[in-house]
Amino acid sequence: MFNQIKDLAGGEIYLITSLLMFMVFFVIVGIYLIKLNQKHIEVMSALPIEENQTEVYEED
Amino acid sequence: MQLEKFTYDNKIVRNFGIATLVWGVIGMTVGLLIAMQLFKPAMNLGSQYTTFGRIRPLHTNAVIFAFVGNAIFMGVYYSLQRLLKARMFSDVLSKIHFWGWQLIIISAVITLPLGFTTSHEYAELEWPIDIAITLIWVVFGVNMFGTIIKRRERHLYVAIWFYIATFVTIAVLHIVNSFELPISFMKSYYVYAGVQDALVQWWYGHNAVAFFLTTPYLGMMYYFLPKMAGRPVYSYKLSILHFWSLIFIYIWAGPHHLLYTSLPGWAQSLGVAFSIMLIAPSWGGMINGLLTLRGAWDKVREDVTLKFMVVALTAYGMATFEGPLLSLKQINGVAHFTDWIVAHVHVGALGWNGFLTFGVLYWLIPRIYKTELYSKKLAGFHFWIGTLGILFYAVPMYWAGFTQGLMWKEFTPEGLLKYPNFLATTLQIIPMHVLRSIGGALYLIGVIAMTYNLAKTMLSAKLVANEPAEAMPLSKIIVDASPADKAWHRVLERKPMKFMVFSLIIILIGGMVEMMPTFTIQSNVPTIASVKPYSALELQGRDLYIREGCVNCHSQTVRPFRSETERYGEYSKAGEFVYDHPFLWGSKRTGPDLHRVGGKYSNAWHFNHLMDPTSMSPGSIMPPYPWLVEQKLDTSTTASKIRAMQTLGVPYDVDYDQQANNDLKIQADKIALDLKQNNIKVKSDREIVAIIAYLQRLGTDIKANKEPIPSNQ
Repeated sequence: MFNQIKDLAGGEIYLITSLLMFMVFFVIVGIYLIKLNQKHIEVMSALPIEENQTEVYEED
Repeated sequence: MQLEKFTYDNKIVRNFGIATLVWGVIGMTVGLLIAMQLFKPAMNLGSQYTTFGRIRPLHTNAVIFAFVGNAIFMGVYYSLQRLLKARMFSDVLSKIHFWGWQLIIISAVITLPLGFTTSHEYAELEWPIDIAITLIWVVFGVNMFGTIIKRRERHLYVAIWFYIATFVTIAVLHIVNSFELPISFMKSYYVYAGVQDALVQWWYGHNAVAFFLTTPYLGMMYYFLPKMAGRPVYSYKLSILHFWSLIFIYIWAGPHHLLYTSLPGWAQSLGVAFSIMLIAPSWGGMINGLLTLRGAWDKVREDVTLKFMVVALTAYGMATFEGPLLSLKQINGVAHFTDWIVAHVHVGALGWNGFLTFGVLYWLIPRIYKTELYSKKLAGFHFWIGTLGILFYAVPMYWAGFTQGLMWKEFTPEGLLKYPNFLATTLQIIPMHVLRSIGGALYLIGVIAMTYNLAKTMLSAKLVANEPAEAMPLSKIIVDASPADKAWHRVLERKPMKFMVFSLIIILIGGMVEMMPTFTIQSNVPTIASVKPYSALELQGRDLYIREGCVNCHSQTVRPFRSETERYGEYSKAGEFVYDHPFLWGSKRTGPDLHRVGGKYSNAWHFNHLMDPTSMSPGSIMPPYPWLVEQKLDTSTTASKIRAMQTLGVPYDVDYDQQANNDLKIQADKIALDLKQNNIKVKSDREIVAIIAYLQRLGTDIKANKEPIPSNQ
């Protein structure tokens, strides 16, 4: 499999770019997830089971 | 701020639910019928309208777009309203969506048996229906986004992201895979040809599985499973990671359907690499679902809806583990074109889609009727007979797939094919096909029991058509703008349009990178000088081949294996397909590959074989095609077909459209004369003559070429 990926007759750029894009994308989502606010997560995951209780926002 | 009172529209949910049940029974019954045709061809009822090639697409379209499609809309319309604390945007649009979708299905039920097909798998419907699908899909989108805009819940729950990704990706897939040049009311040619057409089709085909059979169901799983279990989803973080990586990776994996074909090697490798990566997000979803039930397994013992959900998630896990394995070239070399793929697909379809749908139906119908399920015992019976049905379906199909895949490749010590006659490998697996149909019948009995159970439930109570609810309205200005609130995902969770655009960009990347080079770089599809356009008669014959759905059982692509070049001849080259609008490589070999069949047999052999396959191949399970002799070839379309091909870049001479029917007649007379010399009397204007002309042409361009073809072409 890896030999085929190495010998692409000029097409390597597509493969490498796309893999890079995916890695960057994955890392960004990963970092975001680590930093995510725990309270927000609790509110979000409770949405389907507590649909009759309205969340109160601090708004006007 | 005051609580607002409003109602949820349960009637539309109920209607989609009933449609799911009705089309489920119909689609699966057709499935059972075609399964039986594979060991008893007479089950085609002696009619062209119920023969395998025409109604196999009817089965796939009915179960995918009618059964699963209606189930998706049922689940979305129920959960969306409640997650957003708002009634659907417009009752009128809901109704148009419902009836429009049912009309599209009915038009498929009428046109597919009549032989109106584009031949692209899971996209067989002809151009006028494609337009109708687009319009109804837009109606669905407007209704969904309208509801999202008027919502009373600021944040969009993970289920809704899956619904948005489904909407936007299916729209893109459907439009790109429907670029057809119409030549009459129900006939068109794809703009793409050969390898490019194959790439577009399997980019579509694979992602139809991803974004019609998977993402909306994951959305439904993220809503209904926590509801059924009475606890929140195991990990919300995992759902975010799972969602974005799933939609990003899925879109790339299409080329694994074209391994060892003449698709450029780099595109095949890309498909393999991303298919293997796909196991991570797929299992992320399965694990998140199963772990949601942690500490609630006692409920699973008692609650039949949860039992269905557990089997559904397990089947999803198995199918998504097997998918990446099947995309490994070594495994694919054996599995592709065999019943192994049919088994793989049905673990997903019967287990994941079927069982999740059943779980949701059993949970949801009693709720919108404010009553209890008519019979829990009958639902329990459905669960067990359904599970047995899946086992009786899948195990024989795996067995058949391994057996046939290995038999095709087996050589004697002398270096000859052990089973040179393809039919020997077919006859070997007939008992497995009988067992498979028993499995299918068991599964169908379960579905009929469910339909009865739910009908009784619905008849015993009154639908709560407008369910009262209340919620606080959303204010326009958000005062709380803490740094955490500005985080990109929290912003996306509040901005549905931005969310949609972002998902669109994510899914476009994969498709573009794969398709652009194949479409723009000339060297990716090398031309071969000896490959010429089809003659007028061959072109008409090719359209009959498409009409009869021959592609459902016969591939037209010889892979570069010794076992295939020995059996069929020279392996297929990209340059041989440049005039094929559409490509007809197929995905299953119930019968042998036909790419090199041209010149292999006499015209008389083909005639006798089409009239009664068992006369030439004793024991053959191919149905006879007597109507090809009874029906006159419609030559009134020849000129417009030639002109359409010219528009698409096929190099016929200028004004050839005027002369095409003369050429057609000369070639047809020649074939009829040859048949006459072999004591077969048939008029030259019959359809069978055209289809013989096409079969005799297949793969001969290269045979005629004395020059050796370089290996890279």
